Amino acid sequence: MLVAEKLVKTFPGVRALDGANLTLRPGSVHALLGENGAGKSTLVKLLTGVYRPDGGRILSDGAELQFGGPLDAQKAGIGVVHQERNLIPAFSVGENIVLHHLPGRAGWLDKQRMRAEARRCLELLEVDLDPDMPVSRLSVAQGQLVEIAKALSLDSKVLLLDEPTASLTGDEADRLYSVVRRLRDSGHAVVLVSHKLEEVFAVADTVTVLRDGRSVAEAEPLEGHTQSQIVDLMVGRAFASIELARHPVDASQTPALRLSDVATGLGHQDINLSVRPGEILGLYGLVGAGRSELAKAVLGLERITAGTVEIHGKPARIRNVGEALRRYRLGYVTEDRKDEGLFLEQPVTRNIAVTVWRRLAKAGFVPDRRERALAATYVERLGIRVSTPQQLAGQLSGGNQQKVSLAKWLAAECDVLIVDEPTVGIDVRTKAAFHELIAGLAAEGLALLLISSDLPETVVLADRIAVMSELRIVGELDNDHDYQRMSQQIIRLIHAEPSNPGTLRPTES
Amino acid sequence: MTAQVESPAPPDAPPAKPRRLPLWANPRIGLVVLLVLLVALFTTLRPAFLDTRLTLTPLQSDISVYLVVGLAQLSVLSLGHMNLAVGRMAATSAFAMGLVHDKLGAGLIVSLAAGLLVGALLGALAGLIISRTGVNSFVVTLAMDFALVGLITILYASATDGVAFPTMPSGMEALRFDTFADYCMGDVCGPRIPLVVPIAIAAALLVGLFFRWSRVGREVLMTGSNMRAAELSGIPTRYRIVQAHALSGLIAALAGFLLAANNGAFSASIGDSFLLPSFLAPVLGGTLLVGGAVSVLGTALGAALTQVIYKGLNLLQFQLDQLQLYIGLVLLAALSLDRFRHVLAERRGAKL
Repeated sequence: MLVAEKLVKTFPGVRALDGANLTLRPGSVHALLGENGAGKSTLVKLLTGVYRPDGGRILSDGAELQFGGPLDAQKAGIGVVHQERNLIPAFSVGENIVLHHLPGRAGWLDKQRMRAEARRCLELLEVDLDPDMPVSRLSVAQGQLVEIAKALSLDSKVLLLDEPTASLTGDEADRLYSVVRRLRDSGHAVVLVSHKLEEVFAVADTVTVLRDGRSVAEAEPLEGHTQSQIVDLMVGRAFASIELARHPVDASQTPALRLSDVATGLGHQDINLSVRPGEILGLYGLVGAGRSELAKAVLGLERITAGTVEIHGKPARIRNVGEALRRYRLGYVTEDRKDEGLFLEQPVTRNIAVTVWRRLAKAGFVPDRRERALAATYVERLGIRVSTPQQLAGQLSGGNQQKVSLAKWLAAECDVLIVDEPTVGIDVRTKAAFHELIAGLAAEGLALLLISSDLPETVVLADRIAVMSELRIVGELDNDHDYQRMSQQIIRLIHAEPSNPGTLRPTES
Repeated sequence: MTAQVESPAPPDAPPAKPRRLPLWANPRIGLVVLLVLLVALFTTLRPAFLDTRLTLTPLQSDISVYLVVGLAQLSVLSLGHMNLAVGRMAATSAFAMGLVHDKLGAGLIVSLAAGLLVGALLGALAGLIISRTGVNSFVVTLAMDFALVGLITILYASATDGVAFPTMPSGMEALRFDTFADYCMGDVCGPRIPLVVPIAIAAALLVGLFFRWSRVGREVLMTGSNMRAAELSGIPTRYRIVQAHALSGLIAALAGFLLAANNGAFSASIGDSFLLPSFLAPVLGGTLLVGGAVSVLGTALGAALTQVIYKGLNLLQFQLDQLQLYIGLVLLAALSLDRFRHVLAERRGAKL
């Protein structure tokens, strides 16, 4: 039996885990649930030795375990299959399975024993795969099974599966569930980290729910609970009760941003969207539906092959972000803060002022005084928590980083903003504050296109919701902010594609 | 007597003050300490180390040349790029200077300007190739270095006796031999500082000004810090890459000129010894190889340190191969020490 007690893990500016407990019994499937940012992945990383806990302990059958690194966790019998693939493409199935203890003879690889061992592990899963096949030829689902086999070859008693069905088709997922059940019946403890509640109810026996780094339900039997009870636990009641001040949008105004019959080099077709000043248009869709790519096409980073883009009623041909910024006052708050939105090794001041140096400069030189004054304005206005504006952006918490990457567009006095997944990886409280901020910007008259795959967020914030699936807009709805009704309509729109009835196939192109 | 007690920090101090880097972990301070120690050591072993005419004056000329060489590399390190052709860009530019003077009879200023132009163009070409093709700067400038080696041999063979131009513009002799002590106003003469020193200092100040306060320089640093984010913040990253490489070529040309002045000829061997020192000076001074931050003062200290070591070992009469062995060892030690400091500072929770 594996027990985690009161685990605490702090990162600069954020307490990712704040006393999380987890109990795993052999011969059971245990679901680990929680919203984005609740601390699931941190917990998985503590259990697999990637991070070391700042507090609390991990016990195996009563004895305390301390991991110096991932190998220690593997030796203690804790295996993990991460969401992203972790196989070496150039190696064979067999080599990948036995990777951490390749059998040798006088320094050479003993292929016979390697094949035998790989076959043994694959048979445990009742999977028929040739150990000599190169991993690069496997499907995603097969790759996942090979990763499970790899964990088994290390005699893992505990197996953590992080979102195992995220990129599987319905049939493939069913096959995986039967493998999971077989592992359970042979005495393994399986942890299933998942967003999909149906899947959890179909496979798991018990559940732990994390919220804000704490476990709000610990090893509860799933039987006797409904899905909505679990959802309530995950989001907490506070979230549902958020009411933002709303203001009417003047429908007679010229749209600030309008796309008419736009098609792109990436395959978007017939995109029609418009946002008026003071309005928030939600662009909802699953990951891979092509929303960020559409935004980048508008900014000139991808090719637009047909249709027109108008800004404030005038046709716009945007070739790069600088032009969008200076000629059209169009800003794009990127989805990926760390890689696209921020300069982590640079001070907050520069991160905010980078878009306006041209305006601040005198004869090509930027006076520090004007730059600092400008940054201070936005630090105060957005409530960015910094010790000094010279602090490096990489030292801020996720929520404050996101505010910085928004601030540079406000500093540039943009009046049309595309905001891409603004609250991914941000804790619940900061998220609510951010929603207020976005609603406030709309109230000031900015036109906002809100790209989000967070359904509650979209319903709370947007005035209208456009739904995108597989590079097309499949519907547009007036938002009446009734979460139940809106979410059902939206999900129906996404899954009503004739090309792909009934399955949960992701819309990756 | 009781001293007045300092008033305590205000109660509403902002949260989580990031710890300042401890003084000893500042690479510049470390370099200064190391410099002082080495000078003391060499002076104890060979008092002649402090002889102005024999040691200090030539040392200043050498430091000037290698400071400028370091600045040439620093200009592209700001992007996280490298310029492996820094020596050959200097050589090609020096050839242009010699040619313009020798064949066209141009004076010092015109020859210098022609060489700087050639250097800037070579750098811009490298930058253009890198930004257009996306090929790593390491590969592009390495190939360019190779091509220029051949070109220089051909050029010198066709325009000179194969080694060097026989003449130099008037005024370069002064740069080579004179110090400010040779220029007097009445009874007041200048200090024994070679004439090349103010040129190098001016170059360092201009480069510092460029990266610290100019919009273009800052945008180059942002591009080096995170190219994707720079592009998505409206910075024309391709132009900035070309500009930084052009600056690198321009400064390399200046370094070539200074070395030609020091050696007394525009020769084919100029720049042969530039590559390693070009990295050592900025890197010892705390400039990151990954881009996004530069230190001009550190580069000056790094250049001073390498040249002091070289001069000191030379005075101690080490043979050339021994010299290279020891200078390599000393520099490896200095770099390891730097890394060690870095790790210690990080463990203490300070951010570099």
